[in-house]
Amino acid sequence: MDKVGIVGFYQVKLYSDANYGRYEMIFEAVRGAIDSAGLKKKDITTAISCTNDYYDGRTISNCYTVEVGGGYMADESKVEMDGAHAVLYGLMRILSGNHKLSLVWGGSMASCFPYHAARLYETDPTWERPVAYVNDITAAGFQMRAYLEKYGVSIEDIAKIAVKNRKNASRNPLALQEAQNANITVKDVLDSEIYADPVTELMVAQPCDGVAALLLAPEKQALKITDNPVWITGVGYNQETYYLGDRDLTKSMSMELAGKMAFDAAGIKDPKKEIDLAEFFEAYAHEEVIFSEALGLVDMGEGTNLNSEIDGDIPINPSGGAIGGNPPCGTGLIRIIEAAKQLKGEADGYQVKDAKKAIASGQIGMCAQNNIVYILEGGN
Amino acid sequence: MTEKLVVTNKGFVRADFSFWVGLYMDKFYDSFENKKIIGNKCSKCGKVFVPPRKKCGKCNETIPLDNNWVNLPNTGTLLNYTITHYKVSDRAARKAKKPQIIGMVQIDGSDTAIVYRLLNIDIENVKIGMKLKIEWEEKPKGNPADIKGFVQV
Amino acid sequence: MGRQVAIVSAGFSEHASKRSDVNIAELVSEAVEDCLKKAPSVSFEDIDAFATGNMPGFEGSNLPELWMADWMGARNKPLMRVTTGGTTGGSVGIAGYYTVTAGLPGIDTVLAIAFEQQSQGDTSVGLANVAYGEVSLLNYLGLTYDQVGRLLSAGAAIGVAAYQATNYMHKTKIVEEDLARVVVQNRRNAAKTWWAHLKMPNLTIEQVLDTPYISFPLRYGMVCPASDGACAVLFTTEEKAKNMCDIPVYVNGVASVAHETAILGYSASGSAQIDPSEQLGAMKTSEICYQQAGISFPRKEIDYAEVYSPFPNQELMWVEKLGLFEETTAPEMYKNGVTALNGELPICCSGGVNSTNAIGASALERPAVAALQIMGKASNQVPKTVHTAIGHGWGGSLNLCTMMVMSDEPQRKWR
Repeated sequence: MDKVGIVGFYQVKLYSDANYGRYEMIFEAVRGAIDSAGLKKKDITTAISCTNDYYDGRTISNCYTVEVGGGYMADESKVEMDGAHAVLYGLMRILSGNHKLSLVWGGSMASCFPYHAARLYETDPTWERPVAYVNDITAAGFQMRAYLEKYGVSIEDIAKIAVKNRKNASRNPLALQEAQNANITVKDVLDSEIYADPVTELMVAQPCDGVAALLLAPEKQALKITDNPVWITGVGYNQETYYLGDRDLTKSMSMELAGKMAFDAAGIKDPKKEIDLAEFFEAYAHEEVIFSEALGLVDMGEGTNLNSEIDGDIPINPSGGAIGGNPPCGTGLIRIIEAAKQLKGEADGYQVKDAKKAIASGQIGMCAQNNIVYILEGGN
Repeated sequence: MTEKLVVTNKGFVRADFSFWVGLYMDKFYDSFENKKIIGNKCSKCGKVFVPPRKKCGKCNETIPLDNNWVNLPNTGTLLNYTITHYKVSDRAARKAKKPQIIGMVQIDGSDTAIVYRLLNIDIENVKIGMKLKIEWEEKPKGNPADIKGFVQV
Repeated sequence: MGRQVAIVSAGFSEHASKRSDVNIAELVSEAVEDCLKKAPSVSFEDIDAFATGNMPGFEGSNLPELWMADWMGARNKPLMRVTTGGTTGGSVGIAGYYTVTAGLPGIDTVLAIAFEQQSQGDTSVGLANVAYGEVSLLNYLGLTYDQVGRLLSAGAAIGVAAYQATNYMHKTKIVEEDLARVVVQNRRNAAKTWWAHLKMPNLTIEQVLDTPYISFPLRYGMVCPASDGACAVLFTTEEKAKNMCDIPVYVNGVASVAHETAILGYSASGSAQIDPSEQLGAMKTSEICYQQAGISFPRKEIDYAEVYSPFPNQELMWVEKLGLFEETTAPEMYKNGVTALNGELPICCSGGVNSTNAIGASALERPAVAALQIMGKASNQVPKTVHTAIGHGWGGSLNLCTMMVMSDEPQRKWR
């Protein structure tokens, strides 16, 4: 796979109830990304958006975002998954040679809809949805218990992940204010409200309002546009089976397969040694552990023993991750942007030292049924 | 961005949905009316599925509609559980009056697990691996709610 | 740089107004099975990735691919979901094309699947939702939110199309009979397509004109049905295609260009009035496609076209906007039989969207049928040899457009 450059990006500040409109937010992100690359709207030949009709509360949610999303008279389309999947489509359009600059944006306003109720629409309508025992919260409860039981890990170890991410988020000015807490303790996490035992409120990535955008260009053009592009050298995506009862919840099969595809593309043999940091879309704290095991950053069952602090062995989610703010359809895209910031050395306050290669991931579905992984490399 | 001006529009848009359950689930729910659980079996790998389905995802084999049905008992094993205070419906996620135990139960003789409530079991007594049995509605109507939940054997 | 992409097979489920015998997953599996049956050398193991989509609001299921994974054969495979309203099918086809051409490691063969089971929900409410969300526009039009029922005729597709139709009729000076003629051609063609929905082999212009108006000038007999159905198209690389079928259909141009949103002719901001029969986006789409495919004279070089026309006026309009006929001449061509099965430029010989409309799938069925015509495997095959064909789709609030140019010769544009 040819490498593709990230030449510009922008993320709006995340709010739990933003005091401005959806279109203004989209425009701010898109305009910000174009400005950050020193380009103009007319340079955009293809625009990929990422929204969800259920999250936006309307059919064809992309038809009114054409103008603000930079899609007017451009070759545009919409991916209805995570923002990271939209980046995949933008990447494909660059790799095809049909386009030289591709704009990708994604996000939504979770303050406008009941997020967990909308997630229920994802379940099998002929079996699980009418009784509603399976939803994203209980699915996470099952997964965390399965993991704890299998490896004999204590719940405190999972709570530590939430503590780390919330502390990291406090250093990230764009993170959700409610998630930022520099003084949080494991006890605070465990004492917070029980969502689906053993999952507690502070282990959950809180849905919020936000939009992010980024620009992709082929190698040659990327070097003309900016002196310091971040390269996407590998990508992998995969979806596993649906029914929770069919799956081994203690691991993430789709993440494993996606990782394999991405590492093959980027020529990475030993992720443990080669990867300097990871930005995961962990909708729940335990997913971060399961993802790092699936990608081989740590041995199976050892995920909670990894030192993943900003100055640790492999820093994970130095920006605070999805626990630091989770705007549906935008979270995975923000992970890519945060990883890119680290590689460019622009992560003020939460910079990882000597970051050369990073992983960023996005997901959708119950217990992260569909995962996507990027390998990013910095500098020239 | 600085001004606090919010336009609120009230009014409902109502759209009714009626989901066709399909050929396989139709037979499954028919058996519910007799308080019976059935599954179907992949001809290739021999796995037994509850609920029954047209395709074995592992083998990519079509399971014939007329054969491969397996009668299953009303009993099963608890594989996993979670305790939640939240009730999620099509419209909202709200707090329930008391926590409910949701269990992932493998019906004996099947290779998958189904998710239902556990009834009349104290939270302290829930144990993975415990034996359970289906508690049926008195007058089943042939839908997923016919299974009220699982009780301890 | 991108690789040449080819279509090797296309499959359909049977379409009907109520496929209540199956659920969405089973409906989709029918199309997948039909697609693989037509390419006997291909098995599920050969499919490396999936591109899928539908109109989410119509069935009341968000991301149905998640639970349908096993039914599609997509377990432990890469999958990308693309939805863009009416153009969803076209966008899914284009996503399938891009997934192959991008050359991601290990991905050569991609199955694109689009589907819709409209009988499960309320399509008119779903479509009215396109306008509902737009509070600023509603205010501009003097409607409050609880009065949106009035927009049911306007917000749903027929109302929007009626404005488009009157604008087009004004420009071309055609009468209703010209619209009915298009319908008759389509429904008679549909009678010879096995999977089509409204099959009317003996329909006449008088019968169409005898039905009541829904919204002037569109009569009940002119409007597309709401169907349940699914379509699957198999994309692969040039090298692999040769072993998978006799005549690979090369995808030489794809584009989907959007112009500004407008409801009832007002742009979304309420700042301008737009003629819905102008279609700048469609014109740009076809321009990009032809350029990619190296087509300089579409009127001469295209042998077959499938356009997305739920309403007959649109079929006339699209063939002009996509450069197949001069502006305002399309009605004449339908009169002279140029567009008939044995005509010079046959159009929508499957019966088109006018006869079968499973919305999410419709825009994928257009390139699918066009590809089958090139392969010589279409249900209602045109007698002449088809070398180059187009498949088109529109959606959104008349502002989105997709198009795919296919040919039996690869266009080596990159080399």
